[in-house]
Amino acid sequence: METGNKWNSIKLILREWGLIFGIIIVIIVAAFVNSQFLSGENFANILRAISTVGIASIGMAMVVIGGTMDLSIGSTISLVGVVAMMVMNSPIGMNPASSDLAALLTVILGVAIGATVGLINGGILAAVNGRMGESFIFTYAMQIIVGAVAFAIVGGKFQAAKYPDGMFKSLGIGVTPIIILLVIAVTMQILLQKTSFGRSLYFLGANMDAAKMAGIKIKAVRLVSHILCGACAGLTGVLIVSRVNSASTLQGVGYEFDAMTCVAVGGVSLAGGTGSIAKTALGVLVIGVLSTALNVMGVGSNEQLILRGAVIITAVILDGFNKRAKLREVGH
Amino acid sequence: MGKKLNNGIGAAILQQPILALIVLFIIVVGIVNPTFVTIANFKNVLVDASIYGVSALAMTIAIICGEFDLSLSSNFMWSQIFFCYLLNKWGSNALGILAAWLCMMLTCMAFGAINGLIVVKGKVTSFITTLGMMMMMIKGLCLVFTDGQMVSTNNEFVKMMGKGTLLGFSYLTYIFLFMILLAFYVMKYTQFGRNLYATGGNYNAAQLSGINVEFSKFIIFVILGFAAGISGSMFVCLMRAGSVLYGTDLSLTCVAATVIGGTPLSGGKGSVLRTVVGVLVIYVLYKSLAFLGLQGYINTLIKGLALLLVVVFDAYMSKAGKGGIAVGRR
Repeated sequence: METGNKWNSIKLILREWGLIFGIIIVIIVAAFVNSQFLSGENFANILRAISTVGIASIGMAMVVIGGTMDLSIGSTISLVGVVAMMVMNSPIGMNPASSDLAALLTVILGVAIGATVGLINGGILAAVNGRMGESFIFTYAMQIIVGAVAFAIVGGKFQAAKYPDGMFKSLGIGVTPIIILLVIAVTMQILLQKTSFGRSLYFLGANMDAAKMAGIKIKAVRLVSHILCGACAGLTGVLIVSRVNSASTLQGVGYEFDAMTCVAVGGVSLAGGTGSIAKTALGVLVIGVLSTALNVMGVGSNEQLILRGAVIITAVILDGFNKRAKLREVGH
Repeated sequence: MGKKLNNGIGAAILQQPILALIVLFIIVVGIVNPTFVTIANFKNVLVDASIYGVSALAMTIAIICGEFDLSLSSNFMWSQIFFCYLLNKWGSNALGILAAWLCMMLTCMAFGAINGLIVVKGKVTSFITTLGMMMMMIKGLCLVFTDGQMVSTNNEFVKMMGKGTLLGFSYLTYIFLFMILLAFYVMKYTQFGRNLYATGGNYNAAQLSGINVEFSKFIIFVILGFAAGISGSMFVCLMRAGSVLYGTDLSLTCVAATVIGGTPLSGGKGSVLRTVVGVLVIYVLYKSLAFLGLQGYINTLIKGLALLLVVVFDAYMSKAGKGGIAVGRR
C-alpha cells in the first residue's frame, strides 16, 4: 500500500514535470559532445538569451490561459525597439548627464506602447466577446498595422546605437535581464494564484459562458490580460534593443510564434483555462537549452528548424497523453 | 413596387456588404486612376487571385470542418521548390513532366496527411500541429533542400501554361474556375461534403449520428495538401521559380479571404463561393492600393486596417459570442 502510493506520487510528478527530465537528458547529451556546455558561464548565457523570449512568453501565457492569443507581439517588439532607439539617439539620450533619465523613459514608453497595443487588442476582443479564433485574426491584423506603424516611423532603416555607455546598455546585459525575468515571473504567478483577477482568468479560459453566468466581468478580465501581454512585449522590445544596441523593423518578426511555442511546450493548454507561469518558464527553458545544445553540437540552423518542430509536436502529444491518463485515473 | 425593389437591393447589400464596399472602392480608385478599370487589369487580378484562390477554397473547407492549417504556406513553398527541381531533372518530355507533377502532389498530400494524423490520432490542436509543421519542419526541409537559394526552371510546358490564354483568359483562371466548381459540387451535393459540415458544426452530434468524424478531420488536411500542391504548380507556371520567400503570407491570407467572404470561424457554416468573393475582394484591394501610388507602408497599414474592420464587422454580424473558432474543440 505504502509503496503503491509512493509509486503513484512519483508517476504524478513525472507526468506533471516530465519536461525537466527532458532538459536533463539534453544537457547530458550536449555535455558528452562538448564538455564546455556544462560551464557556469554557458548556463548564464543561456539564461540571458532566453530572458527576452521568456518575458514575451509569460505575457503570452496570460492571454492563452484566458483562452485567446496575441499574434501582434512580434510587431509590438519591433515598434518599441524602434521608438526606444529614437529616444536614446535623441539629445536627451546622447547627453551623459540625462541618459539615465532617457533609459528610464524608454522603459516607461516601451511598456506604455505595448500596453496600448494590448488595450486595442483586448478592447476589440472584449467588445465582440471573441475567443481563440477571433483573437487569431484580430491580432494578425494588428500585427500588420503595428508593423506598418513601426516602418512608417523609421522608413525601414536600420538604426545603430549612437548613445554612450550607461544605464540603458546595462539593461540587457549581465544579470539584469535575468532578474527582470524572475521578478515578472513571480509577480504574474502571484497575480494568477492569489488574486480574484487570476482566478477569473482561469475561469474565463475554461468556460466563457459559465464565467459570464457566474457574474465575472469577462470583458474587464479579457482586457486586462491583453494589456499585461502587450506590456510584457513592450518590455521585451526595450531589453532586446539594449542588448543588441541596434533596432530595426524586423527585430521582432517571429517572436509571437516563438512565444506560442514556449507556452505550448511548457504544457499550457491552448484550449485555455489551465497552465501556469512555472510551466511556461519550463517551456522557455526547454527551448533555450535545446537550441543552445544544438548549436554546441554543431547542428545548422536549417536542420534546427526541423528538429524544433519535431520536439514541439512530440512534447504536445506526450502532454495530451498525460492529461488523458490523469483524467482516466480521476474517473476510477 | 419600387419599395419592394429597394428592399431587395437593401437586403442584398446587407447580406454581402463587402461586395457593395468593393464596388464603391473600385469606382473611387477608377476616378483617381482610370487605367485601373481596364479589362487587362482585371484579367491580371484574376490570374493573381487564382493562385491563392485554390488554397483559399481548401482553407474554407477546413474551417467549415472546424480546423485550420498554418503549414499551408510552407507546403506551398515546398511544392514550388520541389516541382522546379523535378522539372529540371525530368522535364524534357511529357511523361517526365507528368511524373514530376504527380511526385510533387504526392509529397504535398503526404505532408497534409501527417498533419491530419497528428491532429486526429495525436489529439493535438491543429494550431500547434500546423505551427510545428509550418514554422519548423516543412520550412526547415525547404531550407535544407535549397540552402535558402531560389530554384528556377526554364521548362517549355510550364512557360506555355503560364502565358497561354483561352478566349482571352489565362489557363490559370480556368484551373481556378474548375476548382471552384469541384469544391462547390463536393461541398453542396455529396454525402462527403455534408459530413464535413456536420463534423464542423457539432463534433459529438456528428459522431453519434454515425459519421466517421476522424476520417473527416483527417481528409481535410489531405485536401489542404492537395490544394497547396495545385497552388504551387500554378505559381511555378507563372513565375518559373520556387523559393522560401514566395508565399509566406499564404495561410493567413487564405484565412482572411474565408472570413471576409463570410464563412464564420466557428465551423459548420459557410460556402466556398463566398470565399471566391473574399479572394477577389482582397486582390482588388491589393491591386488598387498599388494603383493609388501610395508609399509601401501606407499600403500595409491600409491592408491591416481593412482586414481588422472586416473581421470586426463580421464578428458583430455573426454574434461571435456564440462562436469562436472550433480549433481543437471536441
